[in-house]
Amino acid sequence: MTDRENLISLVRRKGYERMPFEFSMTPDLADRFEKYCKETGYVPPVRAFADIPWSGVKEPRDDAFWKKQYSHDFKGGTTFNQYGVANEPGSAACFHMTRMYHPLEEMTELSELKAYPYPEYIEGPTPEQIAAVEQAHKAGRFAMGNMQCTIWETAWYARSMEMLMMDMMSESELANFVLDKVTANSMINAVNFAKAGADGIYLGDDIGMQSSIMMSKELYGTYIKPRLKAIIDAAKAINPELVVFYHSCGYVTPFIEDLIEAGVDVLNPIQPESMNFEEIHKEYGDRISFCGTLGTQTLMPFGTPKEIRETVFHYLDMVGRKGGLLICPTHILEPEVPVENVVAYIEACKEYCEKF
Amino acid sequence: MSITAQINEMLQKGKAKDVKALVNQALEEGITAKEILNDGLISGMVEIGDKFKENKVYVPEVLIAARAMNQGVAILKPYLTKEGVEPVGKAVICTVKGDLHDIGKNLVKMMMEGVGIECIDLGVDADGDKIVAAVKESGAKVVCLSALLTTTMVNQGEIIEALKAAGLRDKVKVMVGGAPVTQKFADEIGADAYTSDAASAAEVALSFFKN
Repeated sequence: MTDRENLISLVRRKGYERMPFEFSMTPDLADRFEKYCKETGYVPPVRAFADIPWSGVKEPRDDAFWKKQYSHDFKGGTTFNQYGVANEPGSAACFHMTRMYHPLEEMTELSELKAYPYPEYIEGPTPEQIAAVEQAHKAGRFAMGNMQCTIWETAWYARSMEMLMMDMMSESELANFVLDKVTANSMINAVNFAKAGADGIYLGDDIGMQSSIMMSKELYGTYIKPRLKAIIDAAKAINPELVVFYHSCGYVTPFIEDLIEAGVDVLNPIQPESMNFEEIHKEYGDRISFCGTLGTQTLMPFGTPKEIRETVFHYLDMVGRKGGLLICPTHILEPEVPVENVVAYIEACKEYCEKF
Repeated sequence: MSITAQINEMLQKGKAKDVKALVNQALEEGITAKEILNDGLISGMVEIGDKFKENKVYVPEVLIAARAMNQGVAILKPYLTKEGVEPVGKAVICTVKGDLHDIGKNLVKMMMEGVGIECIDLGVDADGDKIVAAVKESGAKVVCLSALLTTTMVNQGEIIEALKAAGLRDKVKVMVGGAPVTQKFADEIGADAYTSDAASAAEVALSFFKN
């Protein structure tokens, strides 16, 4: 099987020949990992997903434009996303992390929200998207349209989490307006990926906290789930075989049924610090696949290479030869993760599959 | 239903306008600001906190209740000053050095204020020097340290060391929290308390002031 065929077969729970690799590192660790590879001749694996560029935006705006939306200045190095959300660098102690500023936070009237210059995505895939899919397929790779922060997160990045939550509780007109704006763009993005020939789309919004859900199921069902389903339906209408990945950090067990109903095929990351994978796999493993399970709050930074190997073997034994688990770290690997642990994860996956 | 009970009920529903109207009405009826605060606003926030701990309500419900509380307190403030009502105690609260995440910290602050604790909020990326200075200036008896990442939770320990070096460790109770933080980690760094949610944090802080 090509890498693409292998990955699709794995997430469709129809068996797999080898474990695809999916992990990312913060700059500090990435530098150390690169140094390790140079010094030892270690060859890092090819990533599971070949990323497809995002859709085009009508009238793209530069940083100078977005700065004018705020009444205060920013430090050098501040970046702005397509919605004008600012990310300002922190102190040296903050490594790569940035402080977020929300351009819609102070607004109280619908007219103010309506007057804001939201980005508008262009319908139809770009030539770059089509070329990237062709290139991925030529190399036998899985073409992925990564569009996390699909609805809820992009909306609250713009409005602020506190304000959007309060809007959802008591100012539904304001909440619906912002969420609809974001959903319309995400819908275009998802459809464009599907039309470009992508094999999968990677959606995501953090709706879990460490040990509880972020909002009630009722609020989720009113504001987020119907919009998520509409996006997935639109993309699957173009390509019913499209594999839909969905990411949410934290505890989301009560939402799994909703996510399956919305059309999610693979759930990421099943944080072991927050969720019990054994129980979840038993309950939902015949209807949804999983991606993740190697804890980045515990195992990856503080575990030993031996513990990492044991965990990889344990979970892969548990799901069996049909697959249904793309095992990988649950989140970006932070600076305190030892390079040896990254290597241990990669090698454990390889070793496990050698016996096939 | 008494008017303070109505304030409690409206606060829990997050009905800020109703809370404001009822607080004004209660004042007109001659009820003391202290009674309105304790039996109406604070009792409502305590009940919301309990429901939050039991996963009967979630962050959005807490936010609108806290907003209603703040608007009620704003009306009461001059009356509380006149009556000489003091906060239950003072706490310094922040997200620790190296960390810029503040949603969890803000939630803890809301819950603490909800039970009548005055919070000195140092924001994010706060180092030992800043915290030591704030404790000295305010006389706060509780220090709450938040961290979201395994990268930054170690700085909670550094801040405890800074408090020791400044001779303040015995004068304050240090509470820690944040997604990757555990009781075991709190014990290792010598914190006085770890709580896993905002409502429990407020409850524990309150117990430190009462004992």
